[in-house]
Amino acid sequence: MHCFESGDTLIYADNAATTKISDNALKQMLPFLQKQYGNPSSQYSLGVKAKRAIEEARQRVSMALGALPSEIIFTSGGSESNSWVLSSVTNGHVITSSIEHHSVLNACHALEHKGIEVTYLPVDSKGRVSLDRLKEAIRSETKLVSIMLANNEIGTIQPIAKIGEYLHERNILFHTDAVQAVGHIPVHVKQLSVDFLTASSHKFNGAKGTGILYKRNGVLLPPLIFGGAQEEGTRAGTENVAGIVAAGYAINESVANMTAMADKLLVMIQKTISGIRSKIPNFIVNGDENNRLPGIVNIVFDGVAGDSLMHLLDLKGICVSTSSACVSGKDQPSHVLMALGLTEQQAKSAIRISYGRYNNLDEVETIVANICHAYDKIIAAKKY
Amino acid sequence: MKQIEYVNCFSCGKKQLSKDEVALNKKMIGREIKQFYCLKCFAEYFDVTTEELLIKIQEFKEQGCALF
Repeated sequence: MHCFESGDTLIYADNAATTKISDNALKQMLPFLQKQYGNPSSQYSLGVKAKRAIEEARQRVSMALGALPSEIIFTSGGSESNSWVLSSVTNGHVITSSIEHHSVLNACHALEHKGIEVTYLPVDSKGRVSLDRLKEAIRSETKLVSIMLANNEIGTIQPIAKIGEYLHERNILFHTDAVQAVGHIPVHVKQLSVDFLTASSHKFNGAKGTGILYKRNGVLLPPLIFGGAQEEGTRAGTENVAGIVAAGYAINESVANMTAMADKLLVMIQKTISGIRSKIPNFIVNGDENNRLPGIVNIVFDGVAGDSLMHLLDLKGICVSTSSACVSGKDQPSHVLMALGLTEQQAKSAIRISYGRYNNLDEVETIVANICHAYDKIIAAKKY
Repeated sequence: MKQIEYVNCFSCGKKQLSKDEVALNKKMIGREIKQFYCLKCFAEYFDVTTEELLIKIQEFKEQGCALF
C-alpha cells in the first residue's frame, strides 16, 4: 500500500527526520491546547498554571542535559537555536565543519556576507572532524566554533568533549548542534564543555515546533526576536506551552530508556546490514561504525539511484530517506557524503534508514526484503 | 497527458508513451535508461497498482520534479 494511504501498514524508518510523538508526551500536552490554554505571561491563575508547566518542563530538560534550569531557553526549533547562536557573531572569525546541517551552514554563509570569515573544516572518510585540524584553524580573532555532536545523515559522533576542553582553555565560545544526539545518546553539557547546545523536541518523540537552546550562564547572547520579556527576556514571543510541556516529558522518557533503546536499535541496524549483505554484495556503509548513533545507517547501493529505491519503498509503505535532493529533475548529491570523499554517483546512490522507538525486528525483515527486491528489479530493468 | 513521439513500451508494445510514463521510468529506474514501460507494465513489473503510480506521479509534480 502507498505510504500516505494507509497508516496501518506504514513502516516508518526515517526517525532522523522526525519521530512520532510519544503517547505520554501527547497526553501531557493536550490540556494546554484547550482546558489550560492560558498565556504564561498573564497574572491570573490560568496564566500562572501555564507558566508553572513551562518551568516544570525547563526543569526536566535541564536535568536531562546536566544543565541548570536558568540555562535552558525554549525556541521554535533546532534551526532557530542554531541560527541564533551563529548570527550573534558580529566580527572576527568562525569555525565550523563541512558536514553541518544547513541551518548552521547557511547561517555561516550569511556571516560571510557580512564580512566575517568562516573556516569549514573537512572531515575524514568516516565523517570525523580532526581536533588537530581544528587547532590549526584557530586564530587570535576566532570568536566561535560550531561543530555538530552527531551527523544527521551518517550518524557519526564527533569528539565534542575533547574539542570543548581545548576551546574552553582558550576562552573561545563553543556551540554544538546536538539535534540528532539528545535523547539518543548521553549528552551532558558540562562534560562536553560547551557554551551553547541545540536540541529539538520532535527528534526525541516530542512535538514539532519546540526547540531547545542551552546557553551557559554568564555567556552573553543578544536576542534574535524582540518583543516581550518571555524566557527571562532572552527570547520574545508567547511560549509554545503545549510543545514545551511535551518536550519535558519526551526527554525524560528518552533518557530513562536510553540504554535499552540503544541496544535494541543497534541490533536492528546490525540485522539490516547483515540482511542486505546476504542478498546484495556491492554496497557501502557510510559513517564511523565504531562511533555512530545507534539507530542510523547510511548505505550506498552500487548502480541504483537512492531516490529510485526510496520511492519504490514508499510504494510498499516503507519510509526511508535519500541524502540527495531533487532539484529541477536532477538530483543533487549530499554535501555530507561528498565531504566523505564519495563520488557524485555514489552520493546519489545512498539511502538513510533511521530506526526509532516504535520500530521492531519484523519491520527490519520487511525493509530488508523490500530493499533487496527493489534493488534487483531496478538492476534488471536497467539491463534491457 | 502530453504525448512524446516514438517512445513505445518495450514490454507490451504500447505506442506513444505519455510524458508522465517516460518520466516515471526515469525517476524510478534511472535517468539514463533507453527502454520504457507503459504504466500498466510498470505496475506489473514492480508489483504495485496503476492507481498507486498515478498518486506518485501527482506527488512528483507537486514537488516540482521537472521530469514530469
